[in-house]
Amino acid sequence: MPLAEQNLTLDAGPFQVRVRSSDPSFLDTLGFFYRGCVRHDGPHFVDFDIRIKRPRGLRRWLQPQVLFEIDALRPFEPQPAENAFPTYEWGLNWCIATSAHRYLMLHAGSVAFGDAGMILPGHPGSGKSTLSAALTLRGGRLLSDEFGLVRPESLELLAMPRGIPLKNTSIEAILEFDSAAPLGPTYPKTRKGRVRHLRPDALSVAQQQRTATPRWLVFPRYLAGATENLAPLDKSEAFRQLAFNCFNYKLLGETAFRAVAQIVRQTQCFTFTYSRLDRAVVQLMDLAQATGPAAHGSPR
Amino acid sequence: MNLLIQFLRRPAIVHKWGVEDWNRFMPLARNARLLGRCLYLLEQHDLLGVVPSRLVDQLRGALNQTRYVQVQALRELRHVVRVLDREDIPPLVLKGVAYLVSGLPPSRWRNLSDIDLLVPKDDIVRAEQALGRDGWQPSGDFDAYDQHYYRDWMHEVPPLVHRQREIEVDLHHNLAPPVSRIQINAAKLWADSLLVSGPYGMVVRTLAPADMLLHNAIHLFMNDELRGGLRDVVDFRDLFEHFLAQDAAFEQLLLGRARALGCGRPLYYAVSTARDLLGLAPSAAFLAEVEVFAPAAPQARLMRWLIEQVMAPARLGLRRTAAANQLLFVRSHWVRMPPGMLFRHLVHKMVKAKKPALSAADLPG
Repeated sequence: MPLAEQNLTLDAGPFQVRVRSSDPSFLDTLGFFYRGCVRHDGPHFVDFDIRIKRPRGLRRWLQPQVLFEIDALRPFEPQPAENAFPTYEWGLNWCIATSAHRYLMLHAGSVAFGDAGMILPGHPGSGKSTLSAALTLRGGRLLSDEFGLVRPESLELLAMPRGIPLKNTSIEAILEFDSAAPLGPTYPKTRKGRVRHLRPDALSVAQQQRTATPRWLVFPRYLAGATENLAPLDKSEAFRQLAFNCFNYKLLGETAFRAVAQIVRQTQCFTFTYSRLDRAVVQLMDLAQATGPAAHGSPR
Repeated sequence: MNLLIQFLRRPAIVHKWGVEDWNRFMPLARNARLLGRCLYLLEQHDLLGVVPSRLVDQLRGALNQTRYVQVQALRELRHVVRVLDREDIPPLVLKGVAYLVSGLPPSRWRNLSDIDLLVPKDDIVRAEQALGRDGWQPSGDFDAYDQHYYRDWMHEVPPLVHRQREIEVDLHHNLAPPVSRIQINAAKLWADSLLVSGPYGMVVRTLAPADMLLHNAIHLFMNDELRGGLRDVVDFRDLFEHFLAQDAAFEQLLLGRARALGCGRPLYYAVSTARDLLGLAPSAAFLAEVEVFAPAAPQARLMRWLIEQVMAPARLGLRRTAAANQLLFVRSHWVRMPPGMLFRHLVHKMVKAKKPALSAADLPG
């Protein structure tokens, strides 16, 4: 039987999310990933007011389903109940992607070393989530695996450490890379195939209000069997590719143009072909170390 | 009276608000598509310093999106006007996009999802075909029944969208369905219409100020089940005050047009709603004359209650709001079609129940 409804406020970087649910297994999983994000003080200004609930009626018992509500509205069709956590994660991403136009939203993983940020833009399948995950398992600070949130007027990269959804063979790749990686439950059947999330590390979560300055712009491409190759990328091409990888480039117009141009100007730009995760991570860590984390960044 | 309404009437109230008030206010403002309007109101009253910074971020984000959609709408209009000019069909723009090209107050903050145009009835099929040759297509799957519904009963053809773009284009030949309770002589609208030079060197027509307000009222209270919601009432109030400031005789002009076009009833609903909810304060003489258009007292009371449930719920997702919406849905059909036609329409719609509109297809992650 469902418990009384829990009412939690979670930090998600620049946002605060109110989550209500009475689904015990969903709440368990949410606790596994975001225990460190729960706010015990309060009350707080809520950016996204979300409720994960079971529909009434027969559906509670027969092939149970779960509903995602935002502001008491239901933008999506019900999902299978066992996918409550991925549904919450996708739903929150949808809320952010459709409303956070205060920020430039890069479709990119982003990891910080000290206050220096590495941006890893890429299409699904380019390996940006896997690379971001692996870098954070080696001490990089997770900003985001998917949303590079940038304040256009200061070009600060914001942190929003969340569970990193590893898809299909990426799950084994990460376990092979680090057998102790803290992974959540496996969701065998989601829209994106088999998914398992990596829990964000405690340090990234504790420092989620700390911003980073973009220093490296690396366009990863996973290519089975390839030798790792980090090659400098022409700035005009880097501009084109980064602009192409913004969720809201067209929407922000001139603001986005200026921000992307300035990010490209102030970063070292590379393409990065890789196949072996351990070597790829060593190479990117070397890059971060060689340039020095705070050479001309602005520490805060 | 909910927090959004309290704020729209008296913005300084935010001085008294605590965290929970803001948390109740934001979903209401977001759902009513009034975030941009609220941002302007806060700036105008020098209140931005009182607003929590994360909420200011949300308001600015919403306004960024609105500006983008406005540009898309104007560009779409330019494409449409180019085609219609070639065909020698005069385009008259309506609602949101009309406020934009005329630079009226709502243009600073108002979002829009489609562009609405009026063309002469004799030209509408030719306009549709010309747009069709240039890449516009019906925006959905309209079967034979839908085609018949639009073409024979409604005041518009099935909505169009260009195959490379996203903004919907609605071509109308009147402001209300020819089968509805309100019969408008479109020739009178054309006779009073204004020529406006818009952006990109576009020259288009708009309705005259009084007709623009009457269209807002008809659209909100007759065509759809209050779908434009509070946003349209805010438009009505803002435009009313704007036109009145420009022309002291505007109230009389509006009454005269309502009589001439036979749409006193929607004017009554619009004025009384804007007064009840948003504190519109026309002259007593004007109010008395508008009162003549009111329905019988019980009906007026019921409508007033329904309107309040839908437009000013204490919070979102109340069952009362859903019930009021159902009744309004029934009413909107009742005023739109004669009973026999309505029966056939509802039976058809029941047989062909629609799938939910949104899917989770384009989620990141």
